[in-house]
Amino acid sequence: MIVTPRIFARLAAIAILAVLLQLSFFSRVELFHTSADVLPAVVVSLGLLGGSMTGAVAGFSIGFLVDCLLVAPLGGFSLVLLGVGYLAGLFRERFEIHSALVPPLTCMGLTLFAELGFAALQVMLGVHAPVSVLIVRDMLLKTIYAFFLAWPIYFGLRRALRPALVEEPKVTRRRQPTVLGRT
Amino acid sequence: MYRKQVRRRRAVLTLLIIGSFLLLTITYGHSSGGLQRGVSTIFSPLQVVADRALKPARDLIGWFDKTFDARGENSRLKSELVTVRRQAVAGQEALQENAQLRKLVALDRGPALAESAYEPVTGRVIARSPTVWNSTVTLDVGSGDGVKVDDPVISGDGLVGLIASTQGGSSQVTLITDHASAVSAKVVPGGVQGVIRPDVGDPEDLILDFIDSTKHVHGGQTVVTSGWRAEGLASLFPPGLPVGEVTSASIVEQEASQQVHLRPYADIANLDLVQVLTGGSRG
Repeated sequence: MIVTPRIFARLAAIAILAVLLQLSFFSRVELFHTSADVLPAVVVSLGLLGGSMTGAVAGFSIGFLVDCLLVAPLGGFSLVLLGVGYLAGLFRERFEIHSALVPPLTCMGLTLFAELGFAALQVMLGVHAPVSVLIVRDMLLKTIYAFFLAWPIYFGLRRALRPALVEEPKVTRRRQPTVLGRT
Repeated sequence: MYRKQVRRRRAVLTLLIIGSFLLLTITYGHSSGGLQRGVSTIFSPLQVVADRALKPARDLIGWFDKTFDARGENSRLKSELVTVRRQAVAGQEALQENAQLRKLVALDRGPALAESAYEPVTGRVIARSPTVWNSTVTLDVGSGDGVKVDDPVISGDGLVGLIASTQGGSSQVTLITDHASAVSAKVVPGGVQGVIRPDVGDPEDLILDFIDSTKHVHGGQTVVTSGWRAEGLASLFPPGLPVGEVTSASIVEQEASQQVHLRPYADIANLDLVQVLTGGSRG
């Protein structure tokens, strides 16, 4: 990704919009007693589009903003989303994305990674209450929601950041003209 | 050139990881103060706008979710109605007795929530934490409206939580379902006392802990805040705030205490309008 001042402004706007939408909308809408978490999906999409550095920096910034707005201990969300963004970017650098299913599946896997990472972090920091097994249901449903939300998020972000993307030209096979009577 | 790029990438990544750990180490257990308050103050008007703009969409999805739940809730409410009817009859008798006793001791106001001592400030939820580990919400009222840290927060149904931090026009509430929450409470009738703690991951379940196993608690009983006061220390919650209804009680093996599970009265997952009880005397 070629980050010009204009693209940087777009990335900042995307991060702020994603955080506002998450806190004011997605976190407050429950389907089957679980709300969706779009932030890992946004960070994964940015990582897949821009590479490991873009993913890591975007993850850290989005996490930092969430920590600030929730007045939670700083660094928790930042650390988890930084890892998510970096892994998504690394995937993009090592493998080719040749199927439309790759972004949703990556979002799904890395959302689960984010949920597990956040749980591990909380356990390490000390949870002063019993933990329900329903937390597993919450994690799995969030992962499934991420699969469906990844489509609009990834393709929307790709459209918004198109001028900055370094995309390999598509190889289109030309059909050989056929002449009647010959194969 | 490529090696230089790789080195730079690694440096940035290391810096970010170290930065995250440093932030966690420095700010864990106490907020970072100025920085978080500043960011919250800047973003709270944007959150208010986003909250209002997105309300119709939220309501629409909420309607679908509630329709799924309605069928199961209907049968539960029917069985509850029978129990409540019985309790209402008993309550009428208690009310008559209470009126007579009040006359005797010349009490002029209710012993439960001393409402006159508190000034309720109504606020709207504008943001919510995306994870069940940190169960917090942001309100559109703050220190400018008289809200202070540790003020209790209630909804129309019961206790919701406690103010954790305030800014000029917004404040953050630690909900009773947050893992850091602990509320001293008692079961009524009976007066058995314990501490309410959450069952992290299940907002429909709270645990009333540290209850003597010899005390009998049964389903359907109400749990209210106990609001104690002793030697200069006082509970952060006034006495008598309804918290929830006992769903089950189980004795912890090899321990002299029992765990009582309760369902909170307040719809913690769908909070919209709440009241912050400002001023007043605690305990």
